[in-house]
Amino acid sequence: MRFLKLRSLFRRAVVEQEMDDELRYHIEELTEQLRRRGMSHADAHTEAMRAIGGLERRREEIRETRRVNHIENFLADVKYAVRRLVRTPGFTIVSIITLALGLGANTAIFTVVNRVLLRPLAYQDPDRLVVPNGTVAAGDYLDWRAHNRTFDGIGAAEWWSPTLYGNDRPEQITALHVTSDIFDVLGVPPLLGRVPRADEEHDGANRVVVLGYNSWQKRFHGDSGVIGRTMSFDGIAYSVIGVMPPSFHFAPYWATSAELWSPLVLEHRTTDRSGSSLRVFGRVKDGVSTAQARADLASIVTGVDDAHSAWAKRLALVPLRSMVVEDVDSQLRILQAAVVILLLIACANVAHLQLMRAAAGERESAVRLALGASSGRVVQQSMIESAVLCVTGAAIGLALGYAAVRMFVRYAPPGLPLLDRIALDVRVFLVLAVCTLVAAALCGLVPALRLGRVRVGDAMRAGRGTNDTPRRRQIRHALVVSEFAMTFVLLAGAGLVLRSFSAMLRVDPGFDAVNTVQMEIGLKGSSHAAVEQRAPFFAELVTRVRQAPGVQSAALTNHIPIVGDHWPFPFAIEGRPIPRAGAGPRALFRIATPGYFGTMGMTIREGRDLSDDDARSSAHVVVVNEAMARTHWPNESPIGKRLTVDGVANDAVWFTVVGIVSDVRQNKWTDVPAAEMYFPYLPGRANDSTSTLVSFLHPNQMTLVVKTSSPSAAIPAVSDVVRDMDRDAVVANASTMATIVAAQFVQPRFYLWLVGSFAVVALALAAVGIYGVISYSVAQRTRELGIRAALGANRGDSLALVIKQGLLLAGIGGMLGLIIAVVAMRFAQALLVGVEPTDPVTLAASTAVITAVAVAASYVPALKAARVDPVVALRAD
Amino acid sequence: MSKPSDLVQGTLDLLILKMVALEPLNGWAISLRLKALSSDVLQVSDGSLYPALHKLEQRGLIDAEWRTTENNRRAKFYSITRTGRKHLREEVKSWDRLSAAITGVIRLQEN
Repeated sequence: MRFLKLRSLFRRAVVEQEMDDELRYHIEELTEQLRRRGMSHADAHTEAMRAIGGLERRREEIRETRRVNHIENFLADVKYAVRRLVRTPGFTIVSIITLALGLGANTAIFTVVNRVLLRPLAYQDPDRLVVPNGTVAAGDYLDWRAHNRTFDGIGAAEWWSPTLYGNDRPEQITALHVTSDIFDVLGVPPLLGRVPRADEEHDGANRVVVLGYNSWQKRFHGDSGVIGRTMSFDGIAYSVIGVMPPSFHFAPYWATSAELWSPLVLEHRTTDRSGSSLRVFGRVKDGVSTAQARADLASIVTGVDDAHSAWAKRLALVPLRSMVVEDVDSQLRILQAAVVILLLIACANVAHLQLMRAAAGERESAVRLALGASSGRVVQQSMIESAVLCVTGAAIGLALGYAAVRMFVRYAPPGLPLLDRIALDVRVFLVLAVCTLVAAALCGLVPALRLGRVRVGDAMRAGRGTNDTPRRRQIRHALVVSEFAMTFVLLAGAGLVLRSFSAMLRVDPGFDAVNTVQMEIGLKGSSHAAVEQRAPFFAELVTRVRQAPGVQSAALTNHIPIVGDHWPFPFAIEGRPIPRAGAGPRALFRIATPGYFGTMGMTIREGRDLSDDDARSSAHVVVVNEAMARTHWPNESPIGKRLTVDGVANDAVWFTVVGIVSDVRQNKWTDVPAAEMYFPYLPGRANDSTSTLVSFLHPNQMTLVVKTSSPSAAIPAVSDVVRDMDRDAVVANASTMATIVAAQFVQPRFYLWLVGSFAVVALALAAVGIYGVISYSVAQRTRELGIRAALGANRGDSLALVIKQGLLLAGIGGMLGLIIAVVAMRFAQALLVGVEPTDPVTLAASTAVITAVAVAASYVPALKAARVDPVVALRAD
Repeated sequence: MSKPSDLVQGTLDLLILKMVALEPLNGWAISLRLKALSSDVLQVSDGSLYPALHKLEQRGLIDAEWRTTENNRRAKFYSITRTGRKHLREEVKSWDRLSAAITGVIRLQEN
């Protein structure tokens, strides 16, 4: 009989049988002995049983001694708990679903928040990376690089959109010119080959590129012999010198789709302090604070001139991470708060379901206590039951969360940073585990403690049926009230987001997105690249496109609304006092060909459109938009006034305002339109060396907009026209304006969907909660309702009584929620556009929804109450 | 029959060990012998015997084995183990000391 303990565990039935046999043997022998002394068989047997002293008790005692301490106890309890839970499927399923939803939502959001906000950027030691707010001129950057004392390294990057030749058609790609410092600053070694050196930042030596991992896969199919191969950008051969690892993305904001990098040549721009097109990335020295670094950089540029001094005062250094998650930060935090609220509601639900169940199970516990179970065991049993529920709920919740994250990645708008690299991870699981434990403790502890202290006598008293104390009622009601309060907050939040979204939808873009297509036409590297050939080419292009079938009108611009550039250019108005440098008025710089406004559906409010005559005679005219007119000529008409973009120098070229055009939405849909000035496309002259604006009014890349009755057919048709005219001209980023506009709504729509889901789930949970409470209350009050019915109350009265109770609870909860919502929504002000946080429509609607839910959830129990048969009720004793 | 107190419980273990040290016995036989040898002075409830036996078995002081009795019935027989014997020796010594001490006190002459 060695290995007794193991035997106990594994051959339970056999061991039990043996125990029985042993006791039975004793009883038989004793019976036999007593019979021999003269007792009857029955008496002898009874006496023998009495001598043993309670068969079950002895069995239990023996079992206790044989118990393999806690493991077997625990397993037995778990099995028992599972059996009990299976016997009440309604309660079990509701509890598990409630917990799974709450915990699942938590996991999903925590995963996303974790990845986007908490996890570091994929650079070395990213907390020391900072960027200045805004762009920097080459000369200033070089000064910073040469004279700073607080940085380990400071690099610069600039947009580069070269045309890649070598495939069947030229392709415009997004890339960056970067100084070699950038790779040092980021600290990520290349996967293959090497990164550019400082000596390659010179004309001639800079014909090298480093590929990003995706670019390498896409264009070279991951060929490891890629080093040394050449690529042709804008007709120039570049040699591939390295490939970066898959986790490396640069830039993490602003130029997120840059796919390869080439050296930035600044040797000719050392004195350029006015064109600011560089983005700077720096790594501060260990131990140096951001404030010190900022002061250092500011001191380097102060004193260069007045404009710089002003700029130095405005200069700020922002951690790189903040730039990356800027837009999304507050949204995610609010989602997080919503999820926590949901979890609280779920826990409240489960806790109060547990309370009801515990009350119902009091009699059973009393019996167990009477039979000899220790109160510790009873409490343990109850806790284990809660734990089983919570673990099951958590497991399902984990699976739900995983699925939710996958869905999130699939359907999330492309604006969210770092999204492609999100997967469930250990930290999230830990958070979930902690949540589960806390939930288990909260949900199980109170009822468990109560059970342990049950007074056996009270519980065993048959009849009455109600072991409901006022204290218990209060706790249950408090739980439901709090659930409703939190649900109200979520509802109100969702309502506000919805209103904000529909306000967004109603925004007038200022242009006609229907039936308008656009595409970028680039002449660099084509046979019409020369300055004097561009204007004729574009003019001819517009003429031909207008003749294409289905085309109503066509024109060109340098940047279309919303997705175009939005750098403000400083300008000066004739006759006004000369502004301090850096403090003068600014407007968005636009070039448009005649008919552009009409094609886009914009309206000329005053004056006239740009005309072909203007282009032919190189007239210096400009059209301003309403915002600009309002801001700078508030009390007069700008028509006839003159402005210049060149600094007020002697050879400044003055442009006369000839028209005012309606505003359009620019960068952000929800921003107020900024000032815009539209210049005509003027023909260029070869060898023009003036530096005034006039010599820049003929860029080699313009966007063609076409108003057509069949947008889908128009794009290829127009592309063909372009290619007919010049095989090497690049057509890029063709799409309809409608697509561009729709893209603006993807992220807000998604966000709305998320918040809406939370509100719906919260509502469902609250409804379940109130249903439970009211049902239970009705069951407890059966006698009372029976008496009322016997005394003459009709069904309607009983119905009303119960529903009133439900409404009262919901009402108190709603009011609480209202107060909380009004306070909390102030923090969400930033996300709500076009609607006040205390929007009465939303609050009223939320109240209505809560009321409806309360009535609906109370209805079924109310029906039961109405149908209480007084005879049956009074007999239920 | 009252529930055995702690003192008696420990003593019960001692008695059982001694019984099975002499020869392997089943529970019923042990109970008979205890009643016989102690002339019914030691009131040991039949019921409390079995938990004590199982506990001793659990502790490894006695071994159990199913055997057939003379009247062809199957019963569980207990025998002492080596560890049990050692334990018995120590407990007997302990008991002697205790008993001597108590005797020493209660035999004091009144003055």
